[in-house]
Amino acid sequence: MKIVTKLLCLAILELLLAMQLPAQLKYRDFKTLSADIQSLASRYQSLCTYKSLAKTHDGKDIWVLTIGTGDIEQKPGVAVFGTVEGNYIAGREMALGFAENILRDSESADVKNLLESLTFYVFPDIAPDAAEQYFAQLKYERKVNSGSTDDDRDFQTDEDPYEDLNNDGLITLIRILDPTGNYIESTDDKRIMAVADISKGQTGAYLVFSEGIDNDKDGKFNEDGPGGVNANRNFTYNFEEYGLNTGYHAMSEPETKAVADFLFDHFNIYMTIAFGPQDNLGQPMKESERQNDPVLADPFEAGRGFVGGSGRGFTREPADRRLTSITKKDAVINKLASDKYHEITGAKGNPQPAQAPGNFMEWAYFHYGRYSFSTPGWWIAADKGKSAEASFLAFAAKKQLPDVFIPWTEIKHPDFPGKKAEAGGIRPFVMYTPPADTLKDVVLANYKFVKALADMHPELEFLDLKTENAGENIFRVTLKVHNKGIFATMAEAGLTNQWTRLMKITAEPGKGQTIISGQKIQRIQRLDGGAAAEFSWLVSGRGTLAVTAGAVNTGIIRTNIDVK
Amino acid sequence: MKNYFSKTIFLLLLLAVPVYSWSQTDKFFYKAAGSPVNPKVKASWNKYYTNQGVNDLCTQLSKAYPNLVSLEVIGKSYQGRDIVLLTISDKKAKDPSGKPGYWIDGNIHSVELQGTEMALYTAWYLCEMYADNEFIKKLLAEKTFYIAPTINPDGREFFTSQTVPPRSGLAPRDNDRDGLFDEDGFDDLNGDGEVSIMRIKNPSGTMRTDPSDPRKMIRVKPGETGEYDYLGIEGIDNDGDGLINEDTPGGYDGNRDWGFNWEPNYVQNGADKYPFTFPENQAVRDFVARHPNISGSQSFHNTGGMILRGPSIKGGGAEVYSRQDDEVINSIGEIGEKIIPGYRLLTIWKDMYTVWGGELDWMHGNGIFVFSNELWNPYLMFYDTANTDQYDFDRLLLFDDAFVPWQKVNHPQYGEIEIGGFKKNFGRLHPGFMLETDAHRNAAFCIYNANQLPVLEIKDISIKNIDGGLKEVSATVANTRAIPTHSASNMKFRIDHPVYVTLEGGSVIAAMIVNDKLLNNTTEQKKNPKRLEIKNIAGNSQVDLRWIVKGGSEFTVKVESEKGGNTSAKAK
Repeated sequence: MKIVTKLLCLAILELLLAMQLPAQLKYRDFKTLSADIQSLASRYQSLCTYKSLAKTHDGKDIWVLTIGTGDIEQKPGVAVFGTVEGNYIAGREMALGFAENILRDSESADVKNLLESLTFYVFPDIAPDAAEQYFAQLKYERKVNSGSTDDDRDFQTDEDPYEDLNNDGLITLIRILDPTGNYIESTDDKRIMAVADISKGQTGAYLVFSEGIDNDKDGKFNEDGPGGVNANRNFTYNFEEYGLNTGYHAMSEPETKAVADFLFDHFNIYMTIAFGPQDNLGQPMKESERQNDPVLADPFEAGRGFVGGSGRGFTREPADRRLTSITKKDAVINKLASDKYHEITGAKGNPQPAQAPGNFMEWAYFHYGRYSFSTPGWWIAADKGKSAEASFLAFAAKKQLPDVFIPWTEIKHPDFPGKKAEAGGIRPFVMYTPPADTLKDVVLANYKFVKALADMHPELEFLDLKTENAGENIFRVTLKVHNKGIFATMAEAGLTNQWTRLMKITAEPGKGQTIISGQKIQRIQRLDGGAAAEFSWLVSGRGTLAVTAGAVNTGIIRTNIDVK
Repeated sequence: MKNYFSKTIFLLLLLAVPVYSWSQTDKFFYKAAGSPVNPKVKASWNKYYTNQGVNDLCTQLSKAYPNLVSLEVIGKSYQGRDIVLLTISDKKAKDPSGKPGYWIDGNIHSVELQGTEMALYTAWYLCEMYADNEFIKKLLAEKTFYIAPTINPDGREFFTSQTVPPRSGLAPRDNDRDGLFDEDGFDDLNGDGEVSIMRIKNPSGTMRTDPSDPRKMIRVKPGETGEYDYLGIEGIDNDGDGLINEDTPGGYDGNRDWGFNWEPNYVQNGADKYPFTFPENQAVRDFVARHPNISGSQSFHNTGGMILRGPSIKGGGAEVYSRQDDEVINSIGEIGEKIIPGYRLLTIWKDMYTVWGGELDWMHGNGIFVFSNELWNPYLMFYDTANTDQYDFDRLLLFDDAFVPWQKVNHPQYGEIEIGGFKKNFGRLHPGFMLETDAHRNAAFCIYNANQLPVLEIKDISIKNIDGGLKEVSATVANTRAIPTHSASNMKFRIDHPVYVTLEGGSVIAAMIVNDKLLNNTTEQKKNPKRLEIKNIAGNSQVDLRWIVKGGSEFTVKVESEKGGNTSAKAK
């Protein structure tokens, strides 16, 4: 009887385990996502904690999971971001999937090793208001949070939303047969609408809008729907004042401000990786020909001057010091990361470039001063000479993905009486969202990449430690601080940024010892991967000299030098 | 007897004291032109107010003039001090929030103390002059002043009770990026409440004392023997990192914290995490956002005698300046040069330096006509641009009150050094006897500015019968002042709704803006013709409007403008 119970228990346990690791992943709505975060943290209590940084307008939590061991805030940190723009629903699966995978593997030697050296901060979704639209009755690619704004600045809010004119629960496109329109059926794929090219002798035949009516009769369609600000337009880099869905000012939203505050408070974070529309892993960023004035000259002097001092009179500001493209040294690391991405995930080509003001990825590099990487995590590279849409439809046909295109069907449109109007187009989300049966592999591939990238973290060690007796009870202590990692001790872009830490080296003499030459506390310059800096002190008296070197973003190393 | 007599005298004196002070102005003073002879609120303008003093004066004004003044707290500073705001307007003549508003703030930079006094003086002057001055009466009937004497009370407190304050507030910052916050500030080595200059004897130094004035240090010329080296500002190496005063309290700039053209610290010294990091600026942002009637503003700074205008970066930022706006700004600024002798109208990026994320550009971007006066000008010492010698001025007019004489102290790192130099209340701040004069001139500039905020008037309503039994109602709406209802930035970003002109009475069939009356050139408004929308009514200009109406005999024209105020007129 007892044995039977035990067997039964085991069977149930196995069943539960099997349920936890399904063969095929599903996209999770916010409720499920939150529950999974909580159960993950409770399953790995010694490695993982989670907390809510803020509530969105909809009352959804901005979760952050912290994964690590020991003194987590004193170790170099990697921040992994899932959905930064609401329509990239796969982003949160990749970020939370990363957390799930690394915790599952936490007993393996390589992950154990990684968690000894690093702390991971995982933000599954910083745009949950928008992302929830994927699960709503009416599905559309929403990017904005639920703060109510006047998107078209006509002094009314949310007055012109989408309408599901063909009652399929999806917002696609409408086309109206009208010679004043400038769209035609694409030559790549007749289902797709393309802008007529007059240089090819084409003139338009259709008007094309997103699905809906012009509720406020201003000639624009669906230009002020429910909701307000796109988190991925609300960061400070290249922020667009009073732009579309950019926010009242940069970091005006509860989501972005909370995330930025968390990151600014965590000086140990040296790298961010985001799964969103921006890409520098499919194709790395390149250093531009035209770079602004050298910003990287003197890390300590920059960021000071007028502010700390009493400053009678005026100092003339130097020329424009904005960084506008990746720096030379950071570009090398970006290229390496991109190569690794292709190698590990097997991804081909690169996604459509997504330029946008105020996006997270560029902010994390240019304004937060950290190594910053971003990828959609999954994409269909455009075939040569073909549009992204046509390439996707060709891919979908090959893979026999069902229902990716909603066929054009005639509708009655109140704004175009007497004209032929149709609704149809590519199903929302499918172009950016890996099919559910491939999601598990995509998540796993991206997990492996993040792990490999993190494995190249900066790491300090002391080398060539030497004590020479200079006579008369005086000793010369010499050592090198060596970065044995691949990544530099900080991104080059962070050199002059107030929100990155500078490494220092401190020599604490023992009892009866004094330092007669060499600074007790001094700064260590930025060290590229493999680079070293040498320090020496003249010490009077025998004893133990305690040397500490580094910063929270590189890890802090210590050694006791026996001077005798 | 004698005793009784002296007691009586004493009692009489006691009784006489209140009577004496009650009537003293009648007997003792005669009005000087342009100043209140018997102010209800006693204020003097040859000293600086502490936070406590600022709050007390504001409270006194609000109690003495309840029909003019409202006092409120718009937010708290980082350290929890109140940010106090006075609303000054004739409350009986329309709701203050429905009139064009003029914003004044001061002291965003901690050492720029006197912006507060300029703001306070303006408030006090408006209140005390109101009863007897027709111009001020009309001004406060038409306009509203919003005056925040200090938007940086923490910095002010530090200045008036401790040593030399940080540039702005007191939120701790790790300026030297070593993981410690505010661990190496200035130190008052001799305990005199001042932070002066340190110098050390050195026969091969780069400086020597001026033989004609031992207070003064001059640079050694080639071939001369040196005497001293400068060691910077009074302080020690508190954290033992070999640097002195490299991480002072605070260490950011509240005027690089605003939501237009913001750039981070490595581009713009003093910027912090992102726009509106600091609670003081958030308070101003929220108040201004809640008061779209604010259409002009002044932020007082020091120093140099400048009436600053934007843009603050070359070519301008996101905010825009039209030719018309430029003309308005320049014409008002030039009047300012006349009102405040020695002050020059200058453009920030061109004549001073580049500023990213400044308050001025944020205000401008939000449709507000804004100036920032850099108070105090060395010219004012001798009313002479050529002779601006501070040492002479201190000796001849202040009797050495502004200088800490050089004295020996022991420095833990440098050994025996000397400290001395001008006090923190001199150089950038007005000496006491000059404060009221400059306060009055700067207040007068604000008052001129406020008077030029738009005033909308409805003129010439006419009703004409036309074909089909319809009526044509025409009206003209004029802006009688220099500042337009909508700046170019306001129109670009659609900050405010357009000027709405609504016709009530009858049923409106069609409506149009008349571009040219004589040529009958009109633009029809198809949507909602009852309420015409006018993008902007420029300064000193008017617009002609026309409605085609069915029925009705009595008509009301209503004008609504966030920055130009509301008005209405009737016609039969």
